[in-house]
Amino acid sequence: MINIFRIVYILMPLTVVMAFLWAPGAEILGDTSRIIYFHVPAAWASVLSFFVAGSASIGYLFDEKNKRARLADVSHNSCVIGMVLIVLATVTGSIWAKMSWGSFWNWDPRETSIIFLLLVYSAYFSLRSALGRKERGSRISSAYLVLAMVTVPFFVFMVPRIYPSLHPAPLINPEKKLFLEDKMRITLAFSLASFTLLYFYILVLMNRISAIEARMVNKRNEK
Amino acid sequence: MAGEIYRNLLKDFRVELRSRFAVNLSLSFAGTMTVTIGLVTSGVTLSPQITSLLLWMIFFFSAMNGLSHIFVREVDQGTFMFMNSKIGTDAVFLSKLIYNSVFFAIIQVIITPVFVFFLQVEVKCAAVFVATVFTGGLAISATSTFLAAMVSRAGGRGSLFTIMSFPLLVPVLWSAISGTIGSFEVRADCGWGNPFFLLAFSGMIAAISFLLFRHVWIEE
Repeated sequence: MINIFRIVYILMPLTVVMAFLWAPGAEILGDTSRIIYFHVPAAWASVLSFFVAGSASIGYLFDEKNKRARLADVSHNSCVIGMVLIVLATVTGSIWAKMSWGSFWNWDPRETSIIFLLLVYSAYFSLRSALGRKERGSRISSAYLVLAMVTVPFFVFMVPRIYPSLHPAPLINPEKKLFLEDKMRITLAFSLASFTLLYFYILVLMNRISAIEARMVNKRNEK
Repeated sequence: MAGEIYRNLLKDFRVELRSRFAVNLSLSFAGTMTVTIGLVTSGVTLSPQITSLLLWMIFFFSAMNGLSHIFVREVDQGTFMFMNSKIGTDAVFLSKLIYNSVFFAIIQVIITPVFVFFLQVEVKCAAVFVATVFTGGLAISATSTFLAAMVSRAGGRGSLFTIMSFPLLVPVLWSAISGTIGSFEVRADCGWGNPFFLLAFSGMIAAISFLLFRHVWIEE
């Protein structure tokens, strides 16, 4: 299965080439708008990874026969990747804000939402380190991830629509239209696919490492 | 189950009345904060935004001081094993949720008039104000109860409770502050959207917490 994800070795460089050389700059923003091809996919992949983490946690918690113990590792690994991606989305968004609005941070509803998502998932790592990696620790931190997943739609979808925002809405807006030229739209779709594949590829790799670690611990305990 | 909830609630109130630790802590904190803010801002007219922000900051930190106590006490005193053998997990959660909601409502009933009095707040929409305060309190209690159970299992670290609660309570504080601002301002219509949102949020969090509680509380 991991071979499928290796397409990412072709897709990611292609995305970079398309973002910088093929797609045109936006009308008013010019070349600065090219950051959209990294900012939006990073934000999307981070939300996806938190959703996967929450779903894996549900699977782990409601597994009565305890056959899916590895799901705890899946949810943790997904959370780790999600954190990296959300930091990336925050940094790229901040750079874009500086170019468009004149300052790196404006407490715009979307900026505020993303920083609170960061806090929600940072708290998960604090909890996990306080509990340790034993079974009880995994169960409690998984329960927290489920609760955290419930708040994600509030931060990602509700807040930016309730409060007035300077943030452009090229993807999800009341008119349900994409305000992008065809080449830009294709590049963005390509980038979204690349980031999604990259996320799954890294997740599969991290899950393999976790499985090897677990096997090593078991062997050590057997001795 | 109703009998188990009632017995556990009665026990919790008795223990609290005997020590009065959590109620004293929360009330002292909220009272000190309210008087200090009133003293510092005396003679200055604060905007509805600042006033409602201060009110909810006081509520939030009072909750952080008092609401984790209900589970931490059981673990610290080693009574949770006995409680688990006598009372079902669902009853434990529901009784603790009811206890925390009542406990926090009492804190709010005492602190809100004191805050309004000392900061000379003019409430334009009293019904919305009262509804926002109580539904906000309910949402804080619902979220904090489940998190308190987690923290008690992690060794009852106080700072961890605040770190975990704050981001999850942001939607609550956001809506509660917005609703309180609305009740302080002159408007043609008293907006009921925020109290309804807070009520819905409380219900949703309480339902999810109820489903997940046994995974956090039961020793396997």
